[in-house]
Amino acid sequence: MSNSKPKRWHANAGAVAPWIVPVLLIVTWQAASQLGWLSGRVLPAPLAVVEAAWTLAASGELWRHVWVSTWRAVVGLAVGGGLGLVLGLLTGTFRIAATLLDSTLQMVRNIPTLALIPLVILWFGIDETAKLFLVALGVFFPVYLNTYHGIRAVDPGLVEMARSYGLSGWRLYREVILPGALPSILVGVRFSLGLMWVILIVAETISAQSGIGYMTMNAREFLQTDVVLVGILLYALLGKLADVLSRALERFWLRWHPGYQAA
Amino acid sequence: MHTHPVEQAALAYLDAALGTPAARATARPVAHHPRPPGGVALRVEQVVKRYNGREVLHGIDLNAAPGEFVAIVGRSGCGKSTLLRLVAGLEATDGGAVTIDAADARPGRGGREDIRVMFQDARLLPWKRVLGNVALGLPRARRADAASVLAQVGLAERAGEWPARLSGGQRQRVALARALVHHPRLLLLDEPLGALDALTRIEMQALIEALWRRLGFTALLVTHDVSEAIALADRVVLIEDGRITLDQPVALARPRQRGSAAFAQLEAAVLDRVMRKGGSADFLTSQQLFELPALSPDPSPATSV
Repeated sequence: MSNSKPKRWHANAGAVAPWIVPVLLIVTWQAASQLGWLSGRVLPAPLAVVEAAWTLAASGELWRHVWVSTWRAVVGLAVGGGLGLVLGLLTGTFRIAATLLDSTLQMVRNIPTLALIPLVILWFGIDETAKLFLVALGVFFPVYLNTYHGIRAVDPGLVEMARSYGLSGWRLYREVILPGALPSILVGVRFSLGLMWVILIVAETISAQSGIGYMTMNAREFLQTDVVLVGILLYALLGKLADVLSRALERFWLRWHPGYQAA
Repeated sequence: MHTHPVEQAALAYLDAALGTPAARATARPVAHHPRPPGGVALRVEQVVKRYNGREVLHGIDLNAAPGEFVAIVGRSGCGKSTLLRLVAGLEATDGGAVTIDAADARPGRGGREDIRVMFQDARLLPWKRVLGNVALGLPRARRADAASVLAQVGLAERAGEWPARLSGGQRQRVALARALVHHPRLLLLDEPLGALDALTRIEMQALIEALWRRLGFTALLVTHDVSEAIALADRVVLIEDGRITLDQPVALARPRQRGSAAFAQLEAAVLDRVMRKGGSADFLTSQQLFELPALSPDPSPATSV
């Protein structure tokens, strides 16, 4: 009884503590802007950013850009991640496939995706295909590599046991090999989600007629620093959202794993 | 060439799916029909096994009658686990034959339906709940059996648990249930209790013995624990350097009293024989063993446990 109070205080402090620094920063920032220490051209006040976001949202422009960017991210992820998964399963399962494909893929992996932008613009122009191609290429490798290693790292003892208990073919794959590789595959997916936004931001700032990147570049030309900040914050928010989603997937799919079970 | 087990499985499956009609026939899932209870007759003849040119088993001969419990003891690295893996069809022999009920046991493409192995590490699938692990490989229609076998090993109330939450002894009990749900007629036990503490081990030995007596399967137990071998087996076979050097019947009445004089005497004799490795004393000691007095029905009640 006597120690329940300090414990609750501890729990509350744990929930509040991470927010102290950001709140202090924003308050200082707002104060600095209002006192005239910060020029609105360099850094607009937080309230001005909120106002800009509100205006953009009210006009519907914000949602159009967010929708276009999200669509590009999701389609790019589906194509690149899907290919990475399939090829990773193939090379992980068959040595011959690994011998044929792996060294080539490792070579391509060492080319920074963004270094391909000039070539991609020559190939696809500046329309949707170029951006989807870049995102797909960027997310391909983390998924591919982690799937490959996940399959290779499946406990041989479990495969042997399952085969001697009569499992083979698709059933063996579904009940033993895929679940065994899943923790590793999900690590790849989380890496991909981070890369996905980075590549999309660059691709959209270089060449686009819509999307969050286009919105910020456009605002830059008109010196609308508040809109630029709205764009940057949107990326942060969407990135965080993707991370939360992938963590939720991990918690669900890996609920058998001692590392993911609630203590 | 050494292939990765995942690749091995995939290739075997493709082989069966695309290959010869004979291969296709063996790959087809076996129909589940009630099998006569009891055990198979196991015959191992002149079996040879080599790894990288080094011979680890030199012409092993071993028979087990239907329903017999045979224990194989020996020091680590003597080849006893290899012999069990050959009988299980997990690996192919390099010479000789393993016959089970007069049928040639081919190295497992999917494994024979009436042979089950219990491994030293329980090898439960961590992503399946306890009941799902027991029902592994069972057709949907027989999933109810899994629950009843789980109850037989005393874990009915843990059916919905993840394997990671179980103790070592409980995991082995789940593994035992998973093996028994297929009504095996030959159960191969590869040091299944080696990693357990002494008390859990004795408990598990009693459970295995009780189920074996009720179900009547043939059992082959590999262990380094001589006391365990004598507690469970009808015959104790010693393997040294890839050869059988002792085949000792255990004529004690069941259930066996660990504290009894006859038990202790037999255990000491076999242990002594195991420890006296190599040298010309081999025949002499086995001779001495056979001359041990009063091995048949236990005259004195247990003095301790």
